[in-house]
Amino acid sequence: MPYQPNSYYTSRRQQNWSRNQNTTRFVSAVKLGPVAHTVLVALMITVLGLIYLTQATRATSYDYESQKIDSQIAELNNQKSDLQIENARLTALDTVKDSAVARELTTPASTAFVEQ
Amino acid sequence: MKLELLQGSRSRILAAAILIIAVVFMGRLFYLQVIQHDYYVGLAEAEQIARFKIPAERGLIYAKNGETPVPLVLNETVYTVFADPVTVSEKEKVIATLRSVAGSNIRENFTDLLDKKDTRYQILATKLTRVQADKIKEESLSGIGFQAVSQRVYPEDKLAAQVLGFVNASGEGNYGLESYADNRLRGVDGLLQTVTDVRDVPLTIGDKNINLPAQDGDDVVLTLERNIQSRVEQALVDGAKRTGGTNVSALVMDPRNGKVLAMANLPTYSPAEYFKVTDVAAFNNDTISGPYEPGSDVKTYTMAVGIDKGVVKASDTFNNTDSIRVADRTISNAYKGITGEITFQTAMNWSLNTGFVTVAQRLGNGSEITREARDTMYEYFHNRLGLGELTGIELANEAKGIIISPEELDGNAVRYSNMAFGQGLDATMVQVSAGFSALINGGNYYQPTIIDGVMQDGVFEQNDAPQPTKKAVVSASTSRQIKEMTQIARTSGFGSVDKQGYYIGGKTGTSQVIKDGQYSEDETIATYLGFGGGDETEYVIMVKVAGEGKIMQGAQDALPIFTDISNWLLDYLKIAPKG
Repeated sequence: MPYQPNSYYTSRRQQNWSRNQNTTRFVSAVKLGPVAHTVLVALMITVLGLIYLTQATRATSYDYESQKIDSQIAELNNQKSDLQIENARLTALDTVKDSAVARELTTPASTAFVEQ
Repeated sequence: MKLELLQGSRSRILAAAILIIAVVFMGRLFYLQVIQHDYYVGLAEAEQIARFKIPAERGLIYAKNGETPVPLVLNETVYTVFADPVTVSEKEKVIATLRSVAGSNIRENFTDLLDKKDTRYQILATKLTRVQADKIKEESLSGIGFQAVSQRVYPEDKLAAQVLGFVNASGEGNYGLESYADNRLRGVDGLLQTVTDVRDVPLTIGDKNINLPAQDGDDVVLTLERNIQSRVEQALVDGAKRTGGTNVSALVMDPRNGKVLAMANLPTYSPAEYFKVTDVAAFNNDTISGPYEPGSDVKTYTMAVGIDKGVVKASDTFNNTDSIRVADRTISNAYKGITGEITFQTAMNWSLNTGFVTVAQRLGNGSEITREARDTMYEYFHNRLGLGELTGIELANEAKGIIISPEELDGNAVRYSNMAFGQGLDATMVQVSAGFSALINGGNYYQPTIIDGVMQDGVFEQNDAPQPTKKAVVSASTSRQIKEMTQIARTSGFGSVDKQGYYIGGKTGTSQVIKDGQYSEDETIATYLGFGGGDETEYVIMVKVAGEGKIMQGAQDALPIFTDISNWLLDYLKIAPKG
């Protein structure tokens, strides 16, 4: 009967664990079948889709905000133009000439220049 | 066995059928997605991507009030109210609302228009203000819509109408500055290309978005001084009433830089209601577009040439016989009786044609207007002082006028003898005024200009000070003598009408009108060309009065308008009397 060693020397390099490494492996007791995998993948894709939609919607909502602000700017510019026109009309020569102040003005009897 | 074979055959047939269908589908998909890719992408983009024009705002136009710009032309957004008669559900409410809010802006038959159910678009009211439009919008009337339109507004109404011109319904500038500077005022429209939602709200998603902002037109500031312009227009109205003139024009220029301070014409019009004008002559700016024979105003030019060439002085004399022979023609004075040995100053005072034909002769050999004399006159009149040449003023429809060169067959001695007293050539008021400014400002010719700068972010940015485009067109000595001669000419005849203590000079002009190729006996044009100021000459004024079938005289009809404007200007510009 040939010699049968009951123990073998295994070098550290050949060991699948080494110093300071865990020597136990976690093996889940839950086993997922192909259907569960498919469902999970589908769920992940759905979540990613929802995230995309949320971001796209948020970007679109910014566009609506921007549009609203643009409308306000346009409205304010219109009001500014209206006020400029009103101001120009109120200070137009014909308006000034017809004003109560202008009607009270009189021509000076004489004018003189003072040398400085 | 047979059954199995049959079953096998069915399976194969089914498989083959499915394969064929799959191939057909794949082929179709390949065709749609690969071969027709660009076509369907185009269709999709046309559906999803909108292109909006961002309209540029037309530039505003300002005059000056002293040194402060004041608006002459602004933009206003007005609204057109339209109806879709098919969808209008509350007709009575629409009628009542429009009547109470839109007033005179509604169309006369707008109630009938609402009944035109076979149409989808009817304009009910135009040119509503934003406030009016908002009031109507508050009523939430179904079937009623609004269209915003930008239009020009003129707070000073008719002021400087021919200088400004107008913008037509297509948005194009017509006449005046609006036409000349149309591209500059118009600006450049912007572009917004973007994916939109169903309500056409632009969205930032998409990779083909373009946003090119509009570049608004320049806000131009004119050299016109609002108060001077207004006063000149009033003086023209008064003058037209007094003289019966129907075509009256005036121009005020600063001879020190060529800036036009006022430019006015009668008849005139309201640019806001340009479409109501029945006679297009009202659109013309006669000061730049109406060449005419300037008449005796040009005697100042002839005298300046004589002095500058050293052939004559104001105190030199000639023998006046009230007529003078040139070739086969006899030229007579309009005013007769100042005969004998008289000075050229006297000829200027009485506007004697013979004196200035004599100057032209002295430019030649003393008794004839030789080719050399004609070349000299042409050199001064045309090349140096700009008669018969476009001045380049920044307004549309400037006319060139005509001055015949000695090179031409018609440029003979008779022609140039006539030109010596302002006939036989056509020039515009702006040409005559610009040349005269050079004669009395020391001899520098400034190109007339009407644009003083731009408004940039509400701040007036003035152009650099104008520089003479031609220097020393006459010597400083000649300029001084011409000023003195015209001052004496005015003082000797009309000095009492001026404010005392100022240096004011001028020359009358009464020119004949050519009708059917001949000088008319029953129509003349009156002009007055002069300057004023204290120690320094601050303004040149030119006035022209004419009327169909009317005899007008420079001294009686044009001079009083000059005096009216001049005396007012001395006060307005706070010019101190000369020391």
